[in-house]
Amino acid sequence: MDHDFDVCVIGSGAGGGPIALRLAQAGKRVLVLEKGPWFTEKDFFKDELACCRRSVYTPKLSDEQHVIEDKNPLGEWIGTPTSESGRDFWNGNCVGGSSNFMSGFFHRLKPVDFRLLSEFGPIAGANVVDWPISYAELEPYYTMVETEVGISGRVLAHPHAEPRSTPDFPYPATAEHAFSARIDRACAALGVTAFPVPRAILSRPQGDRRSCEYSGYCGSYGCASGAKGSARAALLNRAIASGHCELRANAKVTELSSDAKGNISALAYVDGDGVRQRVDAKIYVVACQAIESARLLLASTGPRHPDGLGNRYRQLGRNLLFAGGSEGIGSFYYAEMDPGEAAALRQRGPFINRAVQDWYTFEDPDFGGRAKGGTIDFLFSHPNPIGRAVNQIWDNNDEFLVWGQPLQERLQRVFTAKQYLRFEAFNDWLPNDDCFVGLDPGVRDKWGSPVARLRVANHPHDLKVGRFLADQAARVLTELGAKEIHTFVTGDPPQNLVAGGCRFGNDPKTSVLDRHCRVHDVDNLYVSDGSFMPTGGSVPPTWTIYANAFRVAEQIRAAL
Amino acid sequence: MWVKDSSVLLDRRRFIATVVALGLSACAAWRPSPEAGASATPMPDRAWANAAPWPTLAAVCAHLLPSAVATPGAEAFHALDYLHNSLSDRRADASDWDRLVAGTGQLQQLAQTQQGAVFEQLDSAQRESVLRALEADASGQLWLSLLLTYLLEALLADPVYGGNADANGWQWLQHQPGFPRPPADHAWYRMAAVTGQRRQKAVG
Repeated sequence: MDHDFDVCVIGSGAGGGPIALRLAQAGKRVLVLEKGPWFTEKDFFKDELACCRRSVYTPKLSDEQHVIEDKNPLGEWIGTPTSESGRDFWNGNCVGGSSNFMSGFFHRLKPVDFRLLSEFGPIAGANVVDWPISYAELEPYYTMVETEVGISGRVLAHPHAEPRSTPDFPYPATAEHAFSARIDRACAALGVTAFPVPRAILSRPQGDRRSCEYSGYCGSYGCASGAKGSARAALLNRAIASGHCELRANAKVTELSSDAKGNISALAYVDGDGVRQRVDAKIYVVACQAIESARLLLASTGPRHPDGLGNRYRQLGRNLLFAGGSEGIGSFYYAEMDPGEAAALRQRGPFINRAVQDWYTFEDPDFGGRAKGGTIDFLFSHPNPIGRAVNQIWDNNDEFLVWGQPLQERLQRVFTAKQYLRFEAFNDWLPNDDCFVGLDPGVRDKWGSPVARLRVANHPHDLKVGRFLADQAARVLTELGAKEIHTFVTGDPPQNLVAGGCRFGNDPKTSVLDRHCRVHDVDNLYVSDGSFMPTGGSVPPTWTIYANAFRVAEQIRAAL
Repeated sequence: MWVKDSSVLLDRRRFIATVVALGLSACAAWRPSPEAGASATPMPDRAWANAAPWPTLAAVCAHLLPSAVATPGAEAFHALDYLHNSLSDRRADASDWDRLVAGTGQLQQLAQTQQGAVFEQLDSAQRESVLRALEADASGQLWLSLLLTYLLEALLADPVYGGNADANGWQWLQHQPGFPRPPADHAWYRMAAVTGQRRQKAVG
């Protein structure tokens, strides 16, 4: 039977990019369908309005949205459309997906993350499991990402460093801020190790991509130099150049059709002109980011899949994950330094690039012995000036507005008197029964499809770990001499660090995907984004998503 | 890494609740023409600035962020040009314009009741008194927070949008902008046009 393509990939981000590249390199006919538009380096500028305050890289919520459930005082879950709440859960809907806008703090998971249940035992109310694969099985693909996507770094031994098959990174570390050495000294005084954070940012040119130009604006911004390792810059451009990959932007897939055997027979999408199109392929790969991937599978019913693809045992959409964690901030006043030191601290461009993983696992009686902790990343406050200024207009817990000279004095103090050092701590977001994706029965997107309805509750244990890590990080800020140290622990999900919903596993009754990320019960359908993760690790998941997608690409190549 | 500005959204959320409650969205008045703002640069003809509600908005903005020695105020950083450009853009949220107009009406009513004059004719102390009275009302406070948010955008957004005149907002706060900076043809509201025609030829 003749197909339009060998492989059709739905979604062009970190989950789809590796599939497209590897199969195009193998000479297969690949089609990538991306819902959003196609921006390139020439379209990316350091424009705070475009990046962070208007819907340029994400849909208008009146066109496409989510419904998010919150618990009311009576304990009932009440759904609110995000067009009403303003709670935007989109992350970057364009070619390359949200990898265009990441900061690229890249950490591998560690061997314990693949064995959370075996290592630490069950936690009541949490659906903790071991992964069906080991760290050793994924390690070659983590290494592959270092070269294929481009990761800059410098290996430094520390007690929780994960095993590596190569001695060091293929690209030297990105330029470091003078303040990084102070963090090293403060951590050393506390007996912990600050190590250089690997970054998915080129420190020297590669192919069509320039190296980092150190503008001082990275996270949330599209990269104008091509240094940031987005799936677009690092992978899709090469896939297209091979001559075997076609990318269609503004193509919104609405449904996968399945035949009497339960396999995918075709898909339907709406193109940029609003015209409904149909494509068929030998193999289909869903990579729309966790929430939208689950939504598409739920919406794609068929004779053998009355409740959606891969949902025979009602596992689809369950165990959605975010990154748990905490954050904090401390101030360093220029007036308390000599002028040279103050000038060095004001410098913008080079990265702090320091993290601590001394408490990735730890012993503590409050946790009943050995427990899973996480990663603490240090960074300067985001330089976005409008966001920083708007934070100054409220007083007295948002009771009164500040304006006139008092507001102007506040702005001067916040912008010119001090530098802020922040930390972000990452720990597991324990999978639980109150964190999942479903379809909303009422709200539809502009194409008429039901939108995703989310319940996004965290497990109380996550907050306890987040507090533990925040306390450790605060000690580092104190040792650094920071003033006005504040720490925050929150159970609010960071919408940009999302995974799960189609967990992989060996038992179809408790998982959606098999160990190769093929949907149970469907021979020709894979999910290659972060949906597969049964637990999320205590790091941002992007490196793992890239690595696993390269692993899945080899499985698909073998299956073709 | 979880950088996403919630400040505007928070204000918007509050606004929506209030606007719905008060039925304010019916108060739409003259809206700037889409074509006027498409250039992203101040119009050579600023006749619009003399028409309602702009003189009132100008007076409020000058009070919220006044000029002083070494401090650029709303007038100096061209707040009104920014507002006009932003609100006349075809992709702007039309309801923001409706809200600003509705709030101006509420302000003038209060100025008349409290001071017996239109807002523009009041002295600084009287203006402060009226604005604080307005703030005591929930919808008035929301209007002020929206205006302040737009004002700070005007102060610190790239000068290509019409505010932050000659980068005087950045200079005042010793802010170092990133690079490359947006050219006029890549203003945020033109991005859809920029990418709309980018398509790859089909491959075999």
